[in-house]
Amino acid sequence: MATNNERENWGSRIGLILAVAGNAVGLGNFLRFPVQAAQNGGGAFMIPYFIFFLILGIPLMWIEWGIGRHGGKYKHGSTPGMFDALWKNRAAKYFGSFGLFISFIILVYYTYLTSWTLGFSFFSITKMYFGLENFSDMKSFLYSYQGREVSSSFSNITPAYIFMILTFAANFFVLYKGVSKGIEKLAKIALPALFIFAIIIAIRVFTLGTPNQNLPENSIMSGFAFIWNPDLSSLGDPKIWLAAAGQIFFTLSVGMGAIQAYASYLRPKDDIVLSGLTTATTNEFAEVILGGSIAIPIAVAFFGVTITTQMAAGGAFDLGFATLPLVFERLPFGQIFGFMWFLLLFFAGITSSVAMGQPIIAFLEDEFGLSKKKAVASIATLTFICIQFVVFYLKYGVLNEMDYWAGTFGLVVFALFEIIIFMWIFGSENAFEELNRGGDIKIPIIFKYIMKYITPMVLIIIIAWWLIQDAIPIFLLKGVSDENIPYIIGTRIGMVLLIIGIFYLVHTAWKKRGTKWN
Amino acid sequence: MELRTEGYIFLIASWSFIIGLLIFCYKKVLFDKKKD
Repeated sequence: MATNNERENWGSRIGLILAVAGNAVGLGNFLRFPVQAAQNGGGAFMIPYFIFFLILGIPLMWIEWGIGRHGGKYKHGSTPGMFDALWKNRAAKYFGSFGLFISFIILVYYTYLTSWTLGFSFFSITKMYFGLENFSDMKSFLYSYQGREVSSSFSNITPAYIFMILTFAANFFVLYKGVSKGIEKLAKIALPALFIFAIIIAIRVFTLGTPNQNLPENSIMSGFAFIWNPDLSSLGDPKIWLAAAGQIFFTLSVGMGAIQAYASYLRPKDDIVLSGLTTATTNEFAEVILGGSIAIPIAVAFFGVTITTQMAAGGAFDLGFATLPLVFERLPFGQIFGFMWFLLLFFAGITSSVAMGQPIIAFLEDEFGLSKKKAVASIATLTFICIQFVVFYLKYGVLNEMDYWAGTFGLVVFALFEIIIFMWIFGSENAFEELNRGGDIKIPIIFKYIMKYITPMVLIIIIAWWLIQDAIPIFLLKGVSDENIPYIIGTRIGMVLLIIGIFYLVHTAWKKRGTKWN
Repeated sequence: MELRTEGYIFLIASWSFIIGLLIFCYKKVLFDKKKD
């Protein structure tokens, strides 16, 4: 792949595909998907899941690759400039600013989440949690590690802080090394390693059979039955369809500004159609085939459907960090499998968190002319400051608040912005021509209409539903304890200040550009 | 709980769809000649 003038470039096409797939494959593939499938109709969940993969996931993936490559042509590696290149309106760059806000907020808390997996891979290989016999003890181990309570295992947050520093340093080291020598190199090592570990664990799961002969109903096949036996009557429930749309949306990591940043380092005639489809399919392999074959089947084999359901009710993290360690304790060579499980989650996490750092670093480099060193140092400093709030105020709900507004609701709204700008303002004819330029395969014409009408309509329905169901009650602090309210409000003020700060930077960059080049 | 026939059908259909698409994509990415 040749260079795009003086901007960085990808070393190889497969490197770019693995990097974007690394961005998409995250903790949710292995923890969120199996729980969602089991709770929402089992095998029947896959009908809306694949429909939304075709009408929501793939179109958004292509659109983001298209916006990114188009922006890269004008030397923009972040969404303010990319939107400005698509829509000649002074508001465009401010809509694009949300791509910087979302990716930065996710970078902050995802770095900390990823560090837990590094910590737990260390605790697995050293058998630190071995001996904790039940779910409540294991949960206490997890919660005291996170600083949410004190237990005999952890009396303070120092171990979590050390693993956060290690993850943070690894993250910014990769970002400092750049697109080809950092992100691409990481993806070429981490993604294959992740798949190898996941396949080894999945094979071990398949060969487990019935671990306790006295409880024949607790078997791997029961676990697969729990996920795959279809409840076709559930298809009449709109909640199942929304759950499937949400899962497809989150699993592909669209609406964050990261895919666009990666695609901006392509040449104007490099293929994006086949590359986009390949990354989406790689993600689905990790999610449906590997993710669906590990956590739930293994938990059901050891604890049965009822107890697994209760354990998973506490959230995907309880399943991954409290239920599975209990399983590893009971497996021969369990410390090795535990180590591989958490290390694969670490690889899944770090390839996603570096992707979250790239847009804002590209913004400082492209729009302010900062050197890589200065851009990385600035963002690392800001991230380090912000992450302190996540680490020390986790128990007050700071992380969840950031995750909701930036990493859940914000993504869908931003995806709607970009699809309107690309398909309606830039124009569906221009957009389709842009997407197909240099394509190794052509996008079927039906997708032009799906992208223009159906995908935004689905996004509007999701937003409307969530607004009524979640966003309004969450905004009004419904169910938040009095103790947590100041922290939640503080987090919101912080996020608003961050948006204002980004607006100011965008304004300054364009003002500077106006006097310098126009 | 037993994996019923319909469960097998959904599992095999889903896996086949993904693996088929994966083979199609990687065959083209890795082995088909590029225009450039």
